[in-house]
Amino acid sequence: MKIAVISCIHGNYEALTTVLKDIDSQNVDQIYCLGDLVGYGPYPNEVVTLVRSLDIPTVQGCWDEDIVDGLNACECSYPSLLAEKRGKVAHQWTDQEIHPETRAYLAQLPKVLKQDQLAFTHGSPQSQHEYLLPELDGFLALERVLSTGADILFCGHTHVPYVRTLKQHSLTFSVRTNSGKAIAPEQEFTAPVKRIVNAGSVGEPRHGRPNATYVIYDGDREQVTLQEVEYDYHKTCTAIVEKGLPPIFAWRLAQGMEFAERADDPSHLCERGV
Amino acid sequence: MVQWAILSGIEGNLTAYEAVLQDIRRQTPKVTELYILGDLIDGTPEGNAVVDRIRNPKKGELIPQVCKGAWEEQCLIVRGLAAEPEANPFLTEKGGAILKQLWDHIPLETVEWFRQLHFGFAELDCLLLHGSSLTVFEALTPDISPLVLLDRLSRTGSNRLFCGRSGQTFQYQVSQGKLAATVTTIDQAAVNQDYTIGDPAGTAARLIVGVGNVGRIPKQATYTLYNPNTDQVTFRTVRYGRAGFG
Repeated sequence: MKIAVISCIHGNYEALTTVLKDIDSQNVDQIYCLGDLVGYGPYPNEVVTLVRSLDIPTVQGCWDEDIVDGLNACECSYPSLLAEKRGKVAHQWTDQEIHPETRAYLAQLPKVLKQDQLAFTHGSPQSQHEYLLPELDGFLALERVLSTGADILFCGHTHVPYVRTLKQHSLTFSVRTNSGKAIAPEQEFTAPVKRIVNAGSVGEPRHGRPNATYVIYDGDREQVTLQEVEYDYHKTCTAIVEKGLPPIFAWRLAQGMEFAERADDPSHLCERGV
Repeated sequence: MVQWAILSGIEGNLTAYEAVLQDIRRQTPKVTELYILGDLIDGTPEGNAVVDRIRNPKKGELIPQVCKGAWEEQCLIVRGLAAEPEANPFLTEKGGAILKQLWDHIPLETVEWFRQLHFGFAELDCLLLHGSSLTVFEALTPDISPLVLLDRLSRTGSNRLFCGRSGQTFQYQVSQGKLAATVTTIDQAAVNQDYTIGDPAGTAARLIVGVGNVGRIPKQATYTLYNPNTDQVTFRTVRYGRAGFG
């Protein structure tokens, strides 16, 4: 089975339609979407309508969650205070713009989808707001994959695509109780090779270029391909300005990068709980 | 010489707490710090006497360092002073009737004191808390995956985690670990990553310790002694209500 995985569309209709055309040429059996359909971009309703009309299995992103429940994120949702301030402006704009049926659709999205040995989530299985950065401690990354019961965990949220293979792992542990005796003699925990695949971002890429990114996974060949697609981002930038969103979002989209100052702790783990 | 006594789950049992305090006084080397990892109360009026005793130690006694437990957190939730989690295993376990008990039996002034309690303590290389680094309601037990336990430990940046939610006494040691990874990005071919835990001698192991429960089982309290200098963990069982403490 061959699949395409898209994520973080952020109301960028132009990028989405271009990526869907590219996916059409790849002969995939199924498309999955890792959420964040809305936020930052000028066409949240149009993006949701298109994803719904194509019946694409979709998980709820952090933006989708916050538009439904209200802003309720811990400090890890934004890389800096400035980014948080701008994010709140975008949240208010999107909150006023979206239609009731769009909100209702976002509200019913699951946090995790599972298909055979593949799992799909926005941030991490623990929270839509948690960043699985490629430098996250390897054991913690492995725990996130194992918690889904899958061999490959597809995620987004960071807007930078990557493939991370976790292998040759083992843990030696022992347990003793108050009798002083070991109730479990020294044991070794091992697991097969696992992978985390970050699909990047269709509508608000941050890998250094304005092009949209997504992922193709060929299950028969066990091959992951990171895709980069050019689209007319000028159209989206113009719409951002015309619709009254902060112009700096257009600048960011054109650069393909997050311009905010570096976070104090970019590896911060979300404390919002399981 | 530094020696910590770490206890949890008094659960309104003042007699058990007094027995543990007596056992602590008898220790050699002397106990220098007393940590109470939550669950002072159990929703009955008797819990108030325990809170009063802890807040007002007798002359010459150690001043306990107290953090929140599940019971205290639930009190805050009942009074609208803390957010209700999406899934609340505590309420599932205890049932909804406990909410009215907490409202009726725990005075607002006590709840306000609960509100000031910390989530946990980070001291030296140790984290001391009631549940886990994720939530006060999570019970860590030895049968949980070592990766989950490592996650809860690593989130805090500590190498020692003391917790009380399960009520069990256990010492879970991850002595060694290794993991190799590769990361491929859109602009860069595979980069290797290597992670290790511990050393061949086992001196850099990571520990998760269940500190026991003082009040839940009648006539038998458990708690933990820890020497941060020698890294020695000692579990104590105190039998009370009959002649002699063990």
